[in-house]
Amino acid sequence: MRGVYAVALLSFKEGLRHRVLYGVLLAALLLMGCTVLVSGFFLRDISKVILDFCMATVTLGGLTIPFFLAIHLLAKDIERRTIFTLLTRPISRGQYLIGKFFGLFLITGLIMLLLTGGVWLCLWGGEFLFGSRFFVTVSWVSIVAALFLSWLSVLILNAFVVLWSTVTTSSFLATLLTLFSYVIGHSIDDVVRFLQVEVTMIKISDSIRMTVDVVKYLFPNLAAFDLKSAAAHGLSIPFTDVLILTTYATAYIVVLLVLSTLFFNRRDLA
Amino acid sequence: MIQVSQLQKTYMSGVRRKPTNALVHVSLHVECGEIFGIIGPNGAGKSTLLKSLLSLVRPNSGTIKLNGFFPSDLRCRQSLGYLPENPCLYDNLSVNDHLIFIARTANLKNPLAQQRIPEVLAMVGLDHVRHKQIRTFSKGMVQRAALACALFTQPEILILDEPMSGLDPLGRKMVTDIIRAYNDQGNTVLFCSHVLTDVERICDRIAIMDRGQLALTITPQELLDITPDVRGESPLETLFVRTVGAGGQQ
Ligand SMILES: Nc1ncnc2c1ncn2[C@@H]1O[C@H](COP(=O)(O)OP(=O)(O)O)[C@@H](O)[C@H]1O
Ligand SMILES: [Mg+2]
Repeated sequence: MRGVYAVALLSFKEGLRHRVLYGVLLAALLLMGCTVLVSGFFLRDISKVILDFCMATVTLGGLTIPFFLAIHLLAKDIERRTIFTLLTRPISRGQYLIGKFFGLFLITGLIMLLLTGGVWLCLWGGEFLFGSRFFVTVSWVSIVAALFLSWLSVLILNAFVVLWSTVTTSSFLATLLTLFSYVIGHSIDDVVRFLQVEVTMIKISDSIRMTVDVVKYLFPNLAAFDLKSAAAHGLSIPFTDVLILTTYATAYIVVLLVLSTLFFNRRDLA
Repeated sequence: MIQVSQLQKTYMSGVRRKPTNALVHVSLHVECGEIFGIIGPNGAGKSTLLKSLLSLVRPNSGTIKLNGFFPSDLRCRQSLGYLPENPCLYDNLSVNDHLIFIARTANLKNPLAQQRIPEVLAMVGLDHVRHKQIRTFSKGMVQRAALACALFTQPEILILDEPMSGLDPLGRKMVTDIIRAYNDQGNTVLFCSHVLTDVERICDRIAIMDRGQLALTITPQELLDITPDVRGESPLETLFVRTVGAGGQQ
């Protein structure tokens, strides 16, 4: 436990010193600010437009972490041998990976929380500029639930970075594989639905169906975590859905971390 | 005490899985309180041997015991300090951050750590840059910082991979002095180098390693009996050339 805590704290600290983070925060807040000004053109839909854009920005800001920071904190750490400082202490490889994951957990949490603050500011600014009658449908419970779920999906991607960093020897490959996982995770739902709809003109071979079935069970359904448009329209998000998705994400992350540990334990760090 | 017996390591590199024998039946015994130096040409397997001691590299066969523990046992690393070859520290953090991390993993209470940090930094000559980020350091300074990390918990066994590389003459003398002082407190030092003079001066025993094998082990007293082949050459140099050179001609 002490090892996990020490690694998590060190990676958190190291991550926070990374310049990417400040660029992301600044760009995201600027984007949100522009949204408020532009949303005036959309009259009745002002709150929806603001929320749609702002929540997308929060997710985008969160997504930069697995793709830039997590790769730096894991794949680069192994590639450049900075990992030796940690692994020559009484820290097992499993503890190292879990510690790194929790470091990322904290950083993504912090960044997305700050950006959620940005959403609040934007809504407040919108109300100030355009009057509160446009903002009656805004439901903070749904917004927070939607952003929490998108945080979970970012965490799943972070766990993928952990996995790919342990099985590949190059940070470039790890980035690429994470990108694949992201794309597959987001589109698999659509592909499955497309196959379910029987289109008479097109024959789909059984082997494709099989592959899709396998992929469906291997990769997480990241699209399921995307409830931002529901929240933007002021619809409520059922608590049971949130609970189920949280359980799903947790289980998925645990499996990924266990797999990573198994792979990493066999690896030479020469 | 370090016990290594019949250690074998074969790297499989590349897509073709081309095998490289890095360690071939290496057996070694380092007593408590000894300074043990390993010399050998580049690619002899020195770093691989030291990395196996820390279980960074998993040997194919053979056993290692450090103070009675297997290297994979986390307890043995509590009393171990390691300086990697070409050390690399976290660019965005300071030496202070690194040392605080190490204190945390060693369960050292904060007041004790705060007391120990200036002490160890003074030892390696970095007390003036305690809070500077590593990115601003020169190669030699990083080497010193990594040495500070290895020394921080006052481990019983110190394992140093080419500790003198990248250092200026003063730095080399500093490392030599640190190793000696460290050994005077009854601790064990195992280090490797390809610079013979570094090893000759301070070791209680010297091993020569070549192409994955420990060719021979010798004490400085035994070295005195060797007459140099060429005038002006040190006895160890002569022995090294004879051992490694002879192997090369086969
Ligand atoms: N990661 C690795 N993959 C494949 N071969 C390696 C790897 N690391 C070292 N080797 C090979 O193992 C041998 C010993 O290397 P090393 O232990 O680094 O030597 P030394 O430290 O004595 O210079 C060399 O032939 C080297 O090419
Ligand atoms: Mg080496």
